[in-house]
Amino acid sequence: MNEITNKMRKIAGEILQKGEASVVIGWEKGTFWYLSPPAFIDKVEDVDRLVWDDFCHNNLSKYLVDFKYKEEKVAIFVKGCDSRAFNRLLQDKQIEREKVILIGIPCPGLKDQDQAKTLGKEGDIPKAEKCLECKYPNPLVYDYYLGEKEELDEVAATKEAPNYSDVEAIEAMSPDERYEFWTKQYDRCIRCYACRNVCPACNCRECVFDQTCVGWIGKANNSSENQFFALTRAMHVAGRCIECGECERACPMDIPIMLLNKKIIKDINELFGEYDAGIDVDSKLPLGHFDKSDPEEFM
Amino acid sequence: MKRVGVFICHCGTNIAQAVDCEKVAQNAQAFPGVAFSTDYKYMCAEPGQDLIKKAISEHRLDRVVVASCSPRMHEPTFRKCLERAGLNPYLLEMANIREHCAWVHPDDKERATLKATELVRMAVAKVIQNEPLDRSTIPITKRALVIGGGIAGIQAALDIANAGHLVDIVEKEPSIGGRMAQIDKTFPTLDCSACILTPKMVEVANHPNVRLITYSEVEKVEGYVGNFEVTIRQKARSVDLSACTGCGLCTEKCPTKVPSEFEMEMMNRKAIYTPFPQAIPNKPVIDRENCRYFKTGKCGVCQKLCPAQAVDFTQEDQLVTERYGAIVVATGFDLFDDSVYGEYGYGRYKDVITGLHFERLVNASGPTMGKIKRPSDGQEPKNVVFIKCVGSRDEAKGKAYCSKTCCMYTAKHATLVREKIKDSNVYVFYMDVRTPGKGYEEFYTRTTDQYGAKYLRGRVSKIYEKGGKLIVRGEDTLLGRQIEIEADMVVLATAMVAKENAAELAQMIGFSYDQDNFYTEAHPKLAPVETHTAGVFLAGACQGPKDIPDSVAQASAAAVKVCGLLSKERMETEPTISIVNEAICAGCGMCVTVCPYKAIELKFIQERVDGKVINRRVASVNSGLCQGCGACTVACRSAALNLKHFTNEQILAEVDALCL
Amino acid sequence: MSVKDMQENWEPKILVFACNWCTYAGADLAGLSRLQYPPNIRILRVPCSGRVNPQFVLRAFQRGIDGVLVAGCHPGDCHYVTGNYFTRRRYLLMQRLLQYVGIDPERFQARWISGSEGPKFQQVVTEITEEIKAMGPNRKMRDV
Repeated sequence: MNEITNKMRKIAGEILQKGEASVVIGWEKGTFWYLSPPAFIDKVEDVDRLVWDDFCHNNLSKYLVDFKYKEEKVAIFVKGCDSRAFNRLLQDKQIEREKVILIGIPCPGLKDQDQAKTLGKEGDIPKAEKCLECKYPNPLVYDYYLGEKEELDEVAATKEAPNYSDVEAIEAMSPDERYEFWTKQYDRCIRCYACRNVCPACNCRECVFDQTCVGWIGKANNSSENQFFALTRAMHVAGRCIECGECERACPMDIPIMLLNKKIIKDINELFGEYDAGIDVDSKLPLGHFDKSDPEEFM
Repeated sequence: MKRVGVFICHCGTNIAQAVDCEKVAQNAQAFPGVAFSTDYKYMCAEPGQDLIKKAISEHRLDRVVVASCSPRMHEPTFRKCLERAGLNPYLLEMANIREHCAWVHPDDKERATLKATELVRMAVAKVIQNEPLDRSTIPITKRALVIGGGIAGIQAALDIANAGHLVDIVEKEPSIGGRMAQIDKTFPTLDCSACILTPKMVEVANHPNVRLITYSEVEKVEGYVGNFEVTIRQKARSVDLSACTGCGLCTEKCPTKVPSEFEMEMMNRKAIYTPFPQAIPNKPVIDRENCRYFKTGKCGVCQKLCPAQAVDFTQEDQLVTERYGAIVVATGFDLFDDSVYGEYGYGRYKDVITGLHFERLVNASGPTMGKIKRPSDGQEPKNVVFIKCVGSRDEAKGKAYCSKTCCMYTAKHATLVREKIKDSNVYVFYMDVRTPGKGYEEFYTRTTDQYGAKYLRGRVSKIYEKGGKLIVRGEDTLLGRQIEIEADMVVLATAMVAKENAAELAQMIGFSYDQDNFYTEAHPKLAPVETHTAGVFLAGACQGPKDIPDSVAQASAAAVKVCGLLSKERMETEPTISIVNEAICAGCGMCVTVCPYKAIELKFIQERVDGKVINRRVASVNSGLCQGCGACTVACRSAALNLKHFTNEQILAEVDALCL
Repeated sequence: MSVKDMQENWEPKILVFACNWCTYAGADLAGLSRLQYPPNIRILRVPCSGRVNPQFVLRAFQRGIDGVLVAGCHPGDCHYVTGNYFTRRRYLLMQRLLQYVGIDPERFQARWISGSEGPKFQQVVTEITEEIKAMGPNRKMRDV
């Protein structure tokens, strides 16, 4: 039992006891030791279900959307990426700041659950890929904070320069090679929409891919339609993706979805200046504003 | 099942010679939804329209496709035709098989016919998706704005005001009057310019329907036809206009002398000044850049002496926001920078001047009291050389266009020199003499025949100073020989160019300008005073080089357009605007940020969720403000917004039809 | 007709999304000026280049189009004031994304063509037609 878990349980208990929030969203142990799915705790006696360990991957902010029209306050634990998602949801007007109690946790980086499954409990499980490149391990916004203040700096020190080598590797291919690569990936897609369901940037009331009346979104599961889905989704989350990598983790077919998202993030930074989603609540979405001096390539 | 009628126009032979219209009509029979298809020589003509009306009733058509010229040309015509036949006008689609097909593919009838067929197929696919749309009406703000208080702006304002409408003139200088106030005499009648301008200035200033907003600039324009919201910056004049009596004591006593812009810097004005004696308002302004008080904090003579205590150093720029139903842009022109022509020595030799300098030199209230004296030593020039097309008709160094006025004003100048200096010689170097205009050719003939101005066809290659004279070296191409003239003064017929900030204003208001930054009319022949932006009209030289009668005529034309608009209580709006599907809208507000017209707001609607009433935020489109650009529809990820008449479904139907 | 003949006689089909106020007018001007270009393009009129949803472009590729051109007013000249600035941002990203997934850059292009640029319209569509003709039919993303 680690210290953070203890603190989590304590603060969750207090919040529920005082009635500050009607539900606390955290993580609990799942079916397997390497899974820590979200937990929705609404009774003081349940707080002992809460855990903080190497597998608390889920971006909990996503679940706030479900509480959009509830009157009661919600308390939620946030890592760095959860807090970025929270800021993004604020910007997309999907939540109200005063209706949420944020409890920050400094995140040292989580472990890869697939590797854990293979290597076993005793194995030397590596960090999840998304955590290796994490620029914002600390929560950017919170009401309570569970770590030590010094820990913030220590964790922040792990921040590394963005690494786009994987994107660059694809850019270096010929058009036909790139097409083949992506066709291979998206031919596997089973259109389960797990990527969308877990993604905090996907916060539409009704996803365009769920609409029946529009008739402009193919639902068939074939190569062409899957690519349409992938690119459309990539454009929809452009400027919104906070790099939590949940889409990729949730994908049962191991499609490297973040490779698309990272490409767009790279281009946004190159074309329109430095931008990280969910850092500054007052920032404007890259596709929601413009600069008259944007690069001119369409002469 | 929809019943679409397809009508293929031959446009005489315009379309028919490149496209097999009969075959296109036959092909169209097979398209899904097409109930009737035919071709005809002139669809837009009366019999063509009758044919469409008859077919609509005989074949019970509920949709119409006309394949003919550009919809930018005849869409209104055929929409009216549908209305007369009892169909909603928005159940029409046009396939542009003239401009986009027959005229650009004249030599390959087979492929042009194929393309025309596909364009018709696209139109059929779209029209099937079209919905009847109704125009709504919005109230009109019954006040017009005229930007620019030169002769064009004054004329436009007077005509609008005389028709009974309110009008504001925003002028950036301290006085109205513009370029015409600087001009001495007008061609071809040699009327005194001030004598015909100043009464108009007084008339407009005293008109009960006109408000002058001088020393002010337009800073922001929002809204749309019928309801523009304009922010005007009233620059600090430092003189309280309501208190000032215009006695002129301040100007008289001001110790600071500044070269007068009005006098083309050939004379000084004071730091507190009225630009010219007949200025309106005839009250001074402080030029803060040069005023001793503003520069050093010491002086204040004007303030101390002013009997009305009207001088106010603490005045600040003021931003006022006004609403207008229509805008006339009459911002005029600037002069080309002649120093580009190093060979003429403009800027280097004092006696090489522009036509506008000459206007001041010859003017009775100008720096020389109307006696022509050359700037360098005040001597009366005996040999005067005029050079035409300086900056005009010269793609290499200047502008490609003809400035239109120079031939005539040079003839006028030549006449004036000969009239005022009896023993003078006048030489005019020209490329061509262009005198279209009533009485213009006659005037030019008098200049040469009666007044003895010597016209030399050819360009000047060099001007240099020698012994107090300007040696003008050029070529007489008619005689094929080099000539040198010892001139006392050289006058350059300088090109008219667009105002320095012309593009900026056009971008602010939202209409287009050409490669030379002159404003673009909606149609070069049939809509010469309109812009592509509804409710914005053009007058005068901001649209292209123009003389006074043309500017005045255009101003009156623009005024009529404004009156046409303001005479209505309400105006119809296009129904092709965005709509929100509230059931889908997540209320994220992305549409709000991309809308250029502030036409989208977020509002709350009440809904029952799980037995409880909740307030849900959704987007809401103001139909009076939305102009139908569709930016919001793309910003919306969940397609909660759609643009009527250009819906996602309609566009995709076209894409699908053309990819078949 | 043999397969070889079909290949030799193959002509690309190119979709042009043209904004009503500039590019569509520029295409009209090309017509008025009788400027010839290959008959491979099909113009789809939209009010503003900012109306062109990337999904329209994807759909065209799915349906077998050989090339897509999105064209509108020059920045600063948009009839709707700012529409094309958003177009520029959106399609700068989209262009890169399409190339990233293997669409050849020639097959998706964007251009600014004003109402007075008839010759430019002619030149642009001629160039694009020739480029795409040289590449052969597009099979990528095609829904067959």
